[in-house]
Amino acid sequence: MVVGGGPAGLAAARTAARHGVRVVLVDENSELGGQHYRQMPAGFRAPERARIGRESDEGRRLIDEVRGLGVEVRLESVAWGIFDGRVVALATSGESSRIAAETLILAPGAYDRPVPFPGWTLPGVITASGAQNLVKAYRVLPGRRVLIAGSGPLLLAVAHSLLAGGARIAAICEASPMRHLWRYGPRLLPHLNFVQQGHHYRREIAEAGVPFLAGHVIRRALGGAEVTGAVVSPCDGEWRPVGGTELHYDADCVVVGYGFLSSLELSRLAGCEERYAAGLGDYVPVRSRELESTVPGIFVVGAGARVPGAAVALEEGHLAGLAVANRLGLLTGRGYSREASRARGRLLHLAGFRRVMDDLYRFGAGLHALADDLTTLCRCEEVAVSEAVAAVRDGARHVDEVKAWTRIGMGRCQGRMCGPALAHVIARATGGPVTEAGVFTPRPPVKPVRLAALARGGD
Amino acid sequence: MTHDDLRMAASVERGRALRIAVDGEELLAYEGESVAAALIASGRRSTRVTARAGERRGYFCGMGLCQDCLLTVDGLPNARACTTPIREGLTVETRRGLGDWDASR
Repeated sequence: MVVGGGPAGLAAARTAARHGVRVVLVDENSELGGQHYRQMPAGFRAPERARIGRESDEGRRLIDEVRGLGVEVRLESVAWGIFDGRVVALATSGESSRIAAETLILAPGAYDRPVPFPGWTLPGVITASGAQNLVKAYRVLPGRRVLIAGSGPLLLAVAHSLLAGGARIAAICEASPMRHLWRYGPRLLPHLNFVQQGHHYRREIAEAGVPFLAGHVIRRALGGAEVTGAVVSPCDGEWRPVGGTELHYDADCVVVGYGFLSSLELSRLAGCEERYAAGLGDYVPVRSRELESTVPGIFVVGAGARVPGAAVALEEGHLAGLAVANRLGLLTGRGYSREASRARGRLLHLAGFRRVMDDLYRFGAGLHALADDLTTLCRCEEVAVSEAVAAVRDGARHVDEVKAWTRIGMGRCQGRMCGPALAHVIARATGGPVTEAGVFTPRPPVKPVRLAALARGGD
Repeated sequence: MTHDDLRMAASVERGRALRIAVDGEELLAYEGESVAAALIASGRRSTRVTARAGERRGYFCGMGLCQDCLLTVDGLPNARACTTPIREGLTVETRRGLGDWDASR
């Protein structure tokens, strides 16, 4: 069983099915593709000349291939729990069911790192993925004049789609200093395709007259009821805002994208071990060469294991699919070694590019100094940073303790939006490492499920 | 793009045009669109007012995770605007928490 129908999950399903494995692929969306291969809804059609990206076409071909291989696809199905090892609980259109999987490949993807700053809850402040989804799937602009703040190549991709749609971009604020790029030259040489893509975006942005501010972070979003603008300022190498000129921009939409966090709730629930990667500012599941987690029979691939880009996700899915087929005896030993070492070779090649990206856009924990005492930390329960700090003053040390005392993390998003930032707030207040503050204990259902669906579960 | 619509004009053929009701007002939308896409396209950025502080909230993560774009769809509360598809005749009510929605409009 494969959970998640983005690049990694699709590739895993394709490879496993090609070798004769019976595959069930579940995804909570109404179409496969995930965020990267986001498809337009049925009934929409983009003429050839107006394509916004190649991704959705590539995705279409992969989806059709997977379906053609007889993979059992379950859409609008939320995998909300894992029980007794590898029994996955699903909620599909108002009904709940369980699937006992022999092998589980988790490809749950990632989401934009939530970063609290003053004004981040105002309507019109949206994530980079939220902006991409509106434009890619629905061809709707999130605003007429947009400020983009964050870090990483996605900012350029967002700017590209917004410009293509006719929006104006007030500015792009990249937290990384982007200095001494020449030192990456030799290491980027084998990856000119990626470099050219980035260069193309940068040129387009420059031609549109959009200011690109490296080494700048967002300080606050402005507006009474809804967003009307934003203030940005320079930051240091750790992304901590420093004194200096504050720049004020009018905007009816602020797009925020400070990198991604893996969706770890299912692997965490299953007991897969993780380690903290400071350079990514995120936890990463511990995996074998075959991409199996520390729980036998559960593989974790793609952005759900760390955020590596779609090219890596495809190879990882493929590699896990091979491993599963091999274990079921559907490949000869030699056939498996040959195919797997080819995939590993391609992953090694891609890792060279990834290391440059990780270094260039290295996560700066100073970002979590953007919030002030009054900033909302928990969007669901409406709890401010000051309440978390007060809990620490009263002796709380772990995110679960702060949760019990303040309700931070008890809301409907189940701590996805506040948990990572809360750990940083605790770390700052205690002076200890962020890992000591821990992570919220995952509990099923890991996503909201209607009680009626559970009642109609038949078990 | 027309003056009062954030739909990109040139680059797409959309689905069938449908009518939905948003807080009693009729709104044109297209089959396949999410409720969030239809609302944002018409310049409606708020989906609800929070219970505690009475703040407006709207579309944030855009992928069904943050639970901030909740509203009432066909009388059923807690629907996510970003993942709920438009159907002909859908009624959408922006959600009121305990805050004073009418005063804040």
